[in-house]
Amino acid sequence: MKLSISYWRLKDRYYRLVGVRCEECKNEFFPPVYVCRRCGSRSLTDKEMPKTGKILTYTELKETLAGFEDQEPMLLGIIQLDNGVRILGQIVDTAAENLSIGDRVKAVFRKIQEHGSSGQIFYGYKFVRT
Amino acid sequence: MKTHYDVGIAGYGVYIPTYRLPTTEIARIWKGGGAGPNKEKAVACIDEDSATMAVEAARRAMDMAQVSKLGAIFVGTESKPYAVKPTSTVVAQALGQHFVLAADMEFACKAATEALQVVRGLVGSGMIENGLAIGVDTAQGRPGDDLEYTTGSGAAAYVLSRSNPDTLATVEAGVSYVTDTGDFWRRQTEKYPRHLSRFTGEPAYFHHVETSVKQLFETYGLKANDFTYAVFHQPNPRFPVEVAYRLGFKFEQIKTGLLNPIIGNTYAASSPMGLAAVLDEAKPGERVLVASFGSGAGSDAFSIKITASIDEKRKKAVKVSDLISKNIKIDYATYAKFRGKISR
Repeated sequence: MKLSISYWRLKDRYYRLVGVRCEECKNEFFPPVYVCRRCGSRSLTDKEMPKTGKILTYTELKETLAGFEDQEPMLLGIIQLDNGVRILGQIVDTAAENLSIGDRVKAVFRKIQEHGSSGQIFYGYKFVRT
Repeated sequence: MKTHYDVGIAGYGVYIPTYRLPTTEIARIWKGGGAGPNKEKAVACIDEDSATMAVEAARRAMDMAQVSKLGAIFVGTESKPYAVKPTSTVVAQALGQHFVLAADMEFACKAATEALQVVRGLVGSGMIENGLAIGVDTAQGRPGDDLEYTTGSGAAAYVLSRSNPDTLATVEAGVSYVTDTGDFWRRQTEKYPRHLSRFTGEPAYFHHVETSVKQLFETYGLKANDFTYAVFHQPNPRFPVEVAYRLGFKFEQIKTGLLNPIIGNTYAASSPMGLAAVLDEAKPGERVLVASFGSGAGSDAFSIKITASIDEKRKKAVKVSDLISKNIKIDYATYAKFRGKISR
C-alpha cells in the first residue's frame, strides 16, 4: 500500500513527464528539483518535458528486481530528450540486437508494474524507437 | 437523435499495438488446419492494457484537435483493467484534463459509439465545448475457442467539438437501436466471454445493424448511394461484407474501413478504427456511414460528412495503414505470455 500512495503523489511525473524549468537561467530538470542546479535559483515552474529524444546508452537486464520478472529480458536506456535533459527509462517493443546508440525514441504510456491480480496497477513512461 | 448545435470531429487518433499473432499459430496449437477467418490479429504487449492504449490514441486525437480544454472523457471498453476504478480518470490524468465529466462506458463492441453519442449530445446541447470519446479493447477469447482467432487489441479516439471551420467532419445524423438479446456475455467474475455461436449472426449482428441503418435512412432521407464510404462493426471478415450487400452498399464503399482481416476484431475500437482509416483518405464533401454493433444487443448508426478542413488536419494524423504495416510477428507462446495466459 505504501508504494500506491508514494506513486500517486508523483503521477504527473510518471504520466506526463512533468519536470521543472528555471525562470532565471531557463534550464530544465527531470525529475523536478527545488533549487536550480545551474544557477541556484528557487524560481522554478512545472514544465512538461518533450516526449522525443535519442538513446545515449542502453543495457539488457536478464535478471530484474522483484516484481518485474515477467518483463525479462528488460531493456534499460539513458535517453537524452530533445531539451537536453537525460532520463532513465525502459525501451520496449524491440530486441537488444535491433538497438543502436543514437536511435531516435519517443515516450509512450505503459504499465510499469502491478501488485498481483488484486493490487493496484502503476502506469508511467517507457520509450519506443521511432 | 438531433442536436441543437452542429457537432464536428476536431481530431482523431488510433493506436494499434506492435505485435501480430498469425492465426495459423492458433490453429497449430488447437484445431489444426490453416489460418482462421482473419490472417492475423493485433496483440497488446505484456505492459499494455486498455488504459495505456486509450491514452496513446487520445494523445494523437488531442494533437490533431489542438483544443486546450475538454468537458468530457468517456472510455468505451469491455476489458477494463479494474472491475472497480475508472479507466477514464487515467486518461484524464495523462492528458492533464481535470475539470471533465469522466466515465467508462460498457456495451460490448459498441461501447465507443455509445460514448460518441453521449459526447455528441453534450457538445450539441452547448453543455460542453469539446469532448473525447474513446473505444479500446484488449479483446479476450478463451484459448481454443473460435473467438480466439478474431479477438484483437487496439484503440481509437475522437475529439468532438461544435462544428467550426477547423472541424474535419460533421456528425450530421445518428440513431441508436437496442433489444435484450443474449448472443454474447461475460459474468462478473469470469475471465473469458461466452457466446451462442451461430445465434450471434441473424438475431444479433444482422438484425440490429440492419435496423439501425434503415432507421437512419428513413429518419434522415438517406440511401446507400449517398455514401462514398461505409464502415460496419467487424466481428469477423464476413459479417460486415454481408450486411453491406443487404443494405445496398457495394464492396468499393466498405473496403477502406475493413480492417478485421489484418488486425482482427478490436471490439469497441472496431468501427471507430475503420472510420479513422476512411478519414485518412476521404475528400471534402464525401459522406461516411458508420454502424456499430454491440452484443446484448444494439447498434448505433451515424452519417458523417467530410469538410474542407480534412486535408490540413490530416497532416497531423498517424495513419492507420502505417500502424498496421509496422509490426512484429509472434508465436503462440509469446502471445500466451503477453496476455497473461501463462505466468511464473
